[in-house]
Amino acid sequence: MRPGTKAAVTIHVLFAAIAIMLATLGTVSAQTERAVYVLQADGLACPFCAYGIEKQLGRIDGVATVSTDIESGTVTVTMSPGASLTEKQAKEAVDRAGFTLRGFKWKTD
Amino acid sequence: MCRSRILASTGWTISLVFIASAAATAAPQTFNTALPVAEGEFVFREQFLYRKASGDPSRADREVEVLGAISVLGYGMTGDFAGFAVLPYLDKELGLTTASGARITRSTSGIGDARLFGRYTVYRDDAPGRTFRIAPFAGIELPTGDDDDSDGQGSLPATLQLGSGSWDPFGGVVATYQTLDYQIDAQASYKLNTEANGFEFGDEARLDASLQYRLWPRELGPGVPGFLYGVLEGNLLYRGKNEIGGIDDRDSGGTSLFLSPSLQYVTKRWIVEAIVQVPLVQDLNGDALEDDFTVRAGFRLNF
Repeated sequence: MRPGTKAAVTIHVLFAAIAIMLATLGTVSAQTERAVYVLQADGLACPFCAYGIEKQLGRIDGVATVSTDIESGTVTVTMSPGASLTEKQAKEAVDRAGFTLRGFKWKTD
Repeated sequence: MCRSRILASTGWTISLVFIASAAATAAPQTFNTALPVAEGEFVFREQFLYRKASGDPSRADREVEVLGAISVLGYGMTGDFAGFAVLPYLDKELGLTTASGARITRSTSGIGDARLFGRYTVYRDDAPGRTFRIAPFAGIELPTGDDDDSDGQGSLPATLQLGSGSWDPFGGVVATYQTLDYQIDAQASYKLNTEANGFEFGDEARLDASLQYRLWPRELGPGVPGFLYGVLEGNLLYRGKNEIGGIDDRDSGGTSLFLSPSLQYVTKRWIVEAIVQVPLVQDLNGDALEDDFTVRAGFRLNF
């Protein structure tokens, strides 16, 4: 192999390695991101009822934590890395608790 | 009043209509609510009670005391339909003066009549921070309590027995309006008592209402703080006359109105509560015993 060709191969391998590393880092970054959803649950007006909503949402695969703010009627659902929640899942869970889902917003942590 | 008559009836119905009433959600303490039990979830409630009745105008000078522990387990079949099981443990004591002038006490204790019922939410109007619901319910009281207990005096009167021996259906409808600041519940119900052992308790109809007002915290902070409610409940109760061998017991049944102040502390997982039921009006038949008061205290758990 000529010296010039060897250098070119080396550079290509180096670029390829860097590209793979960047891609891997990107994947890791995406996997550590936690999706957070803010739900508006109508009908929620006492502490004892909040438990039912939290437990129903907590049963969904990928849900890491659920917390309620009773004054605003919002329920914040934080997912495990890489997991997501659909509005349909949220609506069904809130309905199983005996309440009504009015709002569903997604934001990243 | 002759001795046999005294022993046949306390004139005071110690039935479960008054002590096995409530569901296990955040709710009134003397009757039901229309608030939901989440699907697949359990709620448990234990209520302890002490009830006293005296002031017998007859020479028998009867007095009745009841100590009880009432367990309620609720389960959410769906978000709208819940099933409940109620099992009381009761300790009843009747003191009276016999025709010979002797003062005697008759008592019994054990499991009373259990209740099974279902409640379905037929109307639900949810909005931010408030809800309005209407839920009919229906069930049956089972003859699980001993209905042929006796002591040295012979068989206990039917009204002192732990159970009625009969299968008694009941039903009604409850409505709840709840906001973050207060809650109003109202219920109408009817219990059709049937005959067993030659005795039939009079049917029972009742109207109940409850107002729960959040006393603390005055301002809501973030998250889900515990709520301290001040509660006022009212119960209008009508009982028909009991029948003994197909004949009306003239010293039973009538209409009573109770007013009950209470405190209730509610968190996400548990509730503690206590209430005192005081009779305001008692228009009872014959020498039927009047209630003095009833005290209830207990807790509820979400799990």
